[in-house]
Amino acid sequence: MARFIARRLLLSLVTLWLLITIVFIIANVLPNDVGRTILGPFAPQESVDALNQRLGTDRPILVRYVDNVLGAVTLDFGDSYVTGKPAMPQLASAIGRSAKLAGLALAITIPLAIAAGLFAARRRDRPVDRAIVLLGVTSSSIPEFVTGTILVVVVGVQLKLLPVLATPPATADIPTQVRYLLMPATAMAIVYFGYIARMTRAGTIEVLQSDYIRTAAMKGLTTGQTMRRHVLRNALIPTVAVIAVQIGYLFGGIIAVEKIFNYNGMGQTMLFAAQRKDIPLLTAGAIVIGIVYMLATLTADLVIAWMNPRIRLDAER
Amino acid sequence: MDYSELDKVRRSTTPLQLDTVEAFARGRLSRREFIQRGTIIGLSMASISAVIAACGGTTPTAAPASAAAPSAAASSGASAAPASAAVAGGKIRCAIQRPVSIDPVAMQDLGGYGITAQSFEFLCTQQTVGAAGGLAPGLALDWTPNADGTVWTFNLRQGVKWHDGSTFSSADVVASMERLVKAGNSGLKGVLDPGGAVATDANTVVFTLVGGNGNFPYLVSIYNAQTLITPADYVAGTTLDKRPAGTGAWKLVTYDQQTGATFERNPDWWGGTTSLDGTEFIFFDATGPMITAYQGDQVDAIVQFDVLTGAALIDDPNFSLIATPAALHRQIWMRCDKGQFADKRVRQALAYTFDRPALIQQLFKGRAELGNDHVIWQGYPYYDPSIPQRAQDIDKAKSLLAAAGVTNLTATLHVGQLQEIPDLAVLLKSQAAPAGINLEVAVESLDTFYGAQWCPADPADPPCSGASELGVVDYGHRATPDVYLNAALKTKGIWNSSQYSSAAFDAAFTEFQTSVGVDAQKAACTKIETILNEDVPVGLPYFYNYLAGNSKKFTGVFSSALGQMSFSATSQV
Amino acid sequence: MDSNVTPMSIPPGVTSPISERAQARRETVRVLIRRPAFIVGNIVIIGWVICAVLGQRITPYDPFNSFSTGHLPPGPEHLMGTDRLGRDVLSRVMVGSRDVLIVAPLAAILGVVAGTLLGLVMGYYRGWVDDVLSRLVEAFLALPVILVALLTLVVLGSSPVVVVLVVGILFTPIVARTVRSAVLSERQLDYVTAAKLRGELGPFIVSREIFPNVLGPTVVELTVRFGYAIFTVATLSFLGVGLQPPSPDWGLTVSEEYPNMIAGIWWPTLFPALAIASTVVAVNLIADSLQSVLNE
Repeated sequence: MARFIARRLLLSLVTLWLLITIVFIIANVLPNDVGRTILGPFAPQESVDALNQRLGTDRPILVRYVDNVLGAVTLDFGDSYVTGKPAMPQLASAIGRSAKLAGLALAITIPLAIAAGLFAARRRDRPVDRAIVLLGVTSSSIPEFVTGTILVVVVGVQLKLLPVLATPPATADIPTQVRYLLMPATAMAIVYFGYIARMTRAGTIEVLQSDYIRTAAMKGLTTGQTMRRHVLRNALIPTVAVIAVQIGYLFGGIIAVEKIFNYNGMGQTMLFAAQRKDIPLLTAGAIVIGIVYMLATLTADLVIAWMNPRIRLDAER
Repeated sequence: MDYSELDKVRRSTTPLQLDTVEAFARGRLSRREFIQRGTIIGLSMASISAVIAACGGTTPTAAPASAAAPSAAASSGASAAPASAAVAGGKIRCAIQRPVSIDPVAMQDLGGYGITAQSFEFLCTQQTVGAAGGLAPGLALDWTPNADGTVWTFNLRQGVKWHDGSTFSSADVVASMERLVKAGNSGLKGVLDPGGAVATDANTVVFTLVGGNGNFPYLVSIYNAQTLITPADYVAGTTLDKRPAGTGAWKLVTYDQQTGATFERNPDWWGGTTSLDGTEFIFFDATGPMITAYQGDQVDAIVQFDVLTGAALIDDPNFSLIATPAALHRQIWMRCDKGQFADKRVRQALAYTFDRPALIQQLFKGRAELGNDHVIWQGYPYYDPSIPQRAQDIDKAKSLLAAAGVTNLTATLHVGQLQEIPDLAVLLKSQAAPAGINLEVAVESLDTFYGAQWCPADPADPPCSGASELGVVDYGHRATPDVYLNAALKTKGIWNSSQYSSAAFDAAFTEFQTSVGVDAQKAACTKIETILNEDVPVGLPYFYNYLAGNSKKFTGVFSSALGQMSFSATSQV
Repeated sequence: MDSNVTPMSIPPGVTSPISERAQARRETVRVLIRRPAFIVGNIVIIGWVICAVLGQRITPYDPFNSFSTGHLPPGPEHLMGTDRLGRDVLSRVMVGSRDVLIVAPLAAILGVVAGTLLGLVMGYYRGWVDDVLSRLVEAFLALPVILVALLTLVVLGSSPVVVVLVVGILFTPIVARTVRSAVLSERQLDYVTAAKLRGELGPFIVSREIFPNVLGPTVVELTVRFGYAIFTVATLSFLGVGLQPPSPDWGLTVSEEYPNMIAGIWWPTLFPALAIASTVVAVNLIADSLQSVLNE
């Protein structure tokens, strides 16, 4: 196991370096005059040149690249073009807020989706299964901004059940925070539900068809026992993988949801940065989310390896 | 007419003030124009009332400039209600655009203007009763020009304290002005040079200007949002959150660029005790969520919104709408130097296709005023209404095109993604079609649009010579039309995307800038309006209202047309 | 191990020799057209394609230049009401399919073509080629699609071409990974060994022997990506960096009209939103049917 983890970590580092490089290329190689971007079209050329010199954006691209990689290692992505303050501390609080939102969305959706997937798999091809599959396809097809908008109007404005802004008062206790985040989290959870339910269902069906389950049935184990002892563990392997992979997509949805609910997490911060061409902030955001994604897939791989020794051995070979 | 009353006022005024009084007495200024004009050049509200009474008019409904009521500027917002119904205490939550910068000297955005103006104050603030666009005393009690408007003397309010307890004095004003001039403040540039502001005693500041300027108090008022008075030892570049200070009604408590800001009452404010205990500003990146938040009862006031996204609020019976007529407008520029619009008849033809009343109805639900293809807004005291209003006339447009020998005019209308502008472009396209003008609408993000279509940085000389042939650009509210005239229309102006170059116009503009008296300014404006309406370097279909507002749970909210909202006279109902 | 557990990986469907391939394909089609989900999905998509192609010729009103009173509720005159400028919502929803039905499939095709090429190379050659490319793919996969799209569109400026390129490129590694895992299991089969023994060259084996056999997963991937592309483009338009006005694009319309929902003006937002949902659901129904039929 230790060798497996070590190998996996090493590969992650390589991936991280590539990630930083790709983001650097997008942000820098494309024609873009940083000083002009910050000062706007009305500023005189002398001020633009002076600013470029101060920011170091007039240095050769390779020098900037090395600087960038070294900076990224220490999570220093330079100063925001807009506020002039270091990008990373600005992101920290936003990341915390987004983590709360995403965490709540996952907490809502994972148990529900897994239950629905297992339930459907055991009633394969019956109407209830078809209904769950259709629900899954539909729910994962409707963009978060559509469900979010409908929720705001129905639940927030018409029924006045939940607050329409997601930011709770500064001193709010946990139940209050959850109340504020419930609507945006639900908008995200709906999309997520479909993926996880379908993956769980597919995994479970595959396992149910396998020989060892038939053997278990012949041994005289009850369905409940079989499900608990054999099916669940194996069927959840693809589910764990999909949850990790979806972290990246989850973020796409978060931007739209945070915009609708005016919640100042990563999504809003990134959108604001994009509107003002704040490249250091965008770069930092992209890399931080990339790291989160890599950590998620790494965790998923470890969980899967722990669940299924065959994979672990395969990787070590 | 009561000549003895009039003479009393005449004797106590300076020549420039006298000129205005005479203009009113002889009927060359309307009552509204007189009040507005009078406050700018430093006539006291008492004198104004006396003159109006002497000339047989009714006095203004209130006396907002009376020095004894310092909170006058905010005494009567759009939501005036009997003060007796007010409940003391409480907090108002206000939705505002997320500030880009709250550095009072360098800020350029409405969010920054709105936040800094809570703590810091101006020499002159906005008058809210009697006439739009007038001035009321702020940190300055009164101001008087010399005969040719080159030297202005400002008397400062006494007994004003900074939030830290130190005493406000003329040294603070001089230092603030010095910082602004050094930072190249766009309003003061070319008007005030370094060292132009001098303190003659602790409560008097004398401004010696580069040349005569009849509008100078505007330039050190709420209409020039950076001219907030900061402490003498304030360092340019410091943001309000780094050094919370000010003389105003509210002290900054917390500031977080991500979420919002909170203020608490300044118990030592010279204006008295505010009814509210504090204020909270919540930052938004778009208007949509602001409206949602208001509907969901999470904010009580909105600093600014546009009709397209805020249509819901306009018809809401529980919302008191503050619709301030303003010089906010859009310019549809047409290249005058080359291309399809170089012939002035083609430009006129396009202007004749605008169905202005329909645009105002569809884009603003009527909350806008007609534009006549020139930048002199109706609200300016020197506006001349005698130029005939251009209306839609498709036949005229066709014959103008025919006279210019143009058939099948096809052009791309470049616009940025801002508020109603893309919709305006769509409407303009459909209105131009019957005249045989085919417009293709190209919408880009605002930054891209400015840099690529409106005023590309390259070629730099003359400015904007890389601009597209046709486009729509936004202009904010200005207390005087100088910026529009100087930057957008003067030969080689820095924002002259139509590349308009007219000796006659340049001369009229110079005449306007150097004229001091009412008659002279009005005469210059008549020329400007005539020339621009005839040459049409820019089509200008409307001036729209600045919209703000608050829940009827509060009363006494005041809003400027530049993002500043004042709650010092606000109370809960 | 990464590829074995990906949700998108499809076990190789048809492994019969070339001669039987055509027959197997006919069989697949026969099974497919009996599936209600496949039929419904196709009807919806064909409906939108007809709207996109015929456009103004079949809309009840001019979707661009016919202005009446703003925000009329749905009624006999305007079945879906009118928008803020008084344009007929039904007509705009009908032509609103046009942009997204050009941009999204192009992005999907770009992603799938590039991804398949990459996947074939990685899967067949393995070794250091695979190692290097796999790292790159991993790095790309770690990029949040919407955020990178945002970054790129900000730097380059938004235009339909840029949207296609960005979305297509971001889809490439996802497809590559799926195809790679399909190729990995193919290349161990006898027919590949036989071809190698015959002395065939790598490119020939990849294109003529392996590719036809991984066509199934590729087709499924194309439909799945098409669904994602609609979803992504709509979200980008909603965020203001995708398609630009005056396009009647659905996502853009939702972002323009959603503040009015609070005032009870739900129709200009709801109908385009349902249009987006119906299209993505339809595409996913097709993808789902394809996937399960090819798996059997």
